[in-house]
Amino acid sequence: VSDSTQLERRYRRLLAFYPKAFRREHEQEMLSVLIAGAAEGQRRPSLDEAIDLVSNAILMRLWQTCTKLFVRPSYEYRHRHLLWSVRFVASLVLFSIGMFVLAYGSWWALPFLAAAAARFFVGYRIYQATKTSLPT
Amino acid sequence: MQEATFLILTALAAGSQHGYGIITDVEQISIGRVRLRAGTLYTALDRLRSDGLIEVDREEIVESRLRRYYRLTPTGAERLAEEADRMRSNAHVAISRLEMSGGVSTT
Repeated sequence: VSDSTQLERRYRRLLAFYPKAFRREHEQEMLSVLIAGAAEGQRRPSLDEAIDLVSNAILMRLWQTCTKLFVRPSYEYRHRHLLWSVRFVASLVLFSIGMFVLAYGSWWALPFLAAAAARFFVGYRIYQATKTSLPT
Repeated sequence: MQEATFLILTALAAGSQHGYGIITDVEQISIGRVRLRAGTLYTALDRLRSDGLIEVDREEIVESRLRRYYRLTPTGAERLAEEADRMRSNAHVAISRLEMSGGVSTT
């Protein structure tokens, strides 16, 4: 096996950490860049390179997981005006309970306030979603 | 805007370039300070493209390897200009204040 194919195989193994869609789009050109940057007769990726490839892949996967949490079922977008009113009222009620509990100086107020904020935030995000960003 | 992003957009401001071209150009622009690695570069290119700041110009096969050339979109050029303006005005203030204090000469 020649040095360059061995090197390429090792780069491919590192690129396998990336999400599939990203790999389909960029694997070939990334290989070109990696091979172009390699020294004559180099047989394995440098440690810096490996760390850079793997850490970016892990961050990308984490980021995708986080954004997926905000993708709601499509009926929520269809009825977003109604759901926004429901969530708004719910967050007001939770907020009032939270403030009431807080007035007694209890830490049990925190979960209520957090729940109120979460409902408000999610409701508003969906309400704000424009037609173009609606899932199809 | 992160420095790497700013430098990538700057590298594309004069015309389209492929991945390895961007890496060498960014190194030159930053006077050898920033050497982008493939993972960082393509994470940034992927995000810039989905944000509509850059787009694919053309593709070539050189020595059986894919080269994809990227170019700035009008939106990308606008964002880069805004950022450059902001940096210039900040730098201007920093330099004039240093001169006022009479401590450091920047020339």
